[in-house]
Amino acid sequence: MGKSLMIVDDSATMRKIIMRTVRMSGLEFDRTEEAGSGVEALEKLKAGPIDVVLCDINMPEMNGTEMVKHARQLPSCAGTKIIMVSTESAEDLIKQVLADGADGYITKPFTPEKFQEKLTPLLN
Amino acid sequence: MDLIDLVDRIDLIVNGVDKVNTVFYRDFFCGESNMVTTVSLRDAVLDSAREVFETMVFMALEPSDDATSLGDTTLLASITFKGDMDGCLSVCCDDSCARTITANMLGMMSTDEVGENDVSDAMGEIANMVMGTVKARIQNDAGNIEVSIPSVVQGRELRSSLGEGAGQVRVRVSIEEQYRAEFSLLYR
Repeated sequence: MGKSLMIVDDSATMRKIIMRTVRMSGLEFDRTEEAGSGVEALEKLKAGPIDVVLCDINMPEMNGTEMVKHARQLPSCAGTKIIMVSTESAEDLIKQVLADGADGYITKPFTPEKFQEKLTPLLN
Repeated sequence: MDLIDLVDRIDLIVNGVDKVNTVFYRDFFCGESNMVTTVSLRDAVLDSAREVFETMVFMALEPSDDATSLGDTTLLASITFKGDMDGCLSVCCDDSCARTITANMLGMMSTDEVGENDVSDAMGEIANMVMGTVKARIQNDAGNIEVSIPSVVQGRELRSSLGEGAGQVRVRVSIEEQYRAEFSLLYR
């Protein structure tokens, strides 16, 4: 069965950029979805399992760190790998987000190689 | 000063363009040992902008001493920050430059495919990523900084201002030797 990916970012343009970078990395997903906020992402995660979520942190309505905490309460999200994608690079923040349930962290600006490095181990 | 106050104080003013300044911001903060840390903010802004353009825009960016106007109608993307240091980072360029940057970021073959929302989003994201990279470079000296969400406006010869007493770094750049832009960092 193929893998599924969801990109969560309040900027539609950034979602396109991340999708393009994932494609450039050579990683392949059979199903891709997008969400413009943490709330929308949770609704999609409740609807059914998604293998990988790439999630921004600074978003209005519900930020990425809150989204991760809520997502980890969902039975449908038990096997979901959540990778945060953000310009924030403070060590304390990264440690906290990982402690809250994220599986990885990618800082912007990013490269296709960075996506490959971080995502490949999670997909196997 | 909270973020709302700070945003209120960022006035968009009509102004000429100053020559590129090299500013060293001294006395960021004195640590326990009272040692003064000196950081080149200009280098931090330029290096961060270069990194973002190389990795995300796929365009080469070089410092420029061309002090002429960026054009009649420019686009200004700004992001404020607060904490141990308050201020605003902005990037300003003309519409043609902003469209080319956007097309490159999205992998589009032509700027004709670029929508207005794409330009606004992409330029806001440039400001966001440059600020994030600047923050990473200076956070050991500058202490805790919280960054806001970017905003983008279009108009005639736009510029950010924090009023009197604010320090500023302005970095003029040439992009692919074809376009010009200005990055500015205002702080107090």
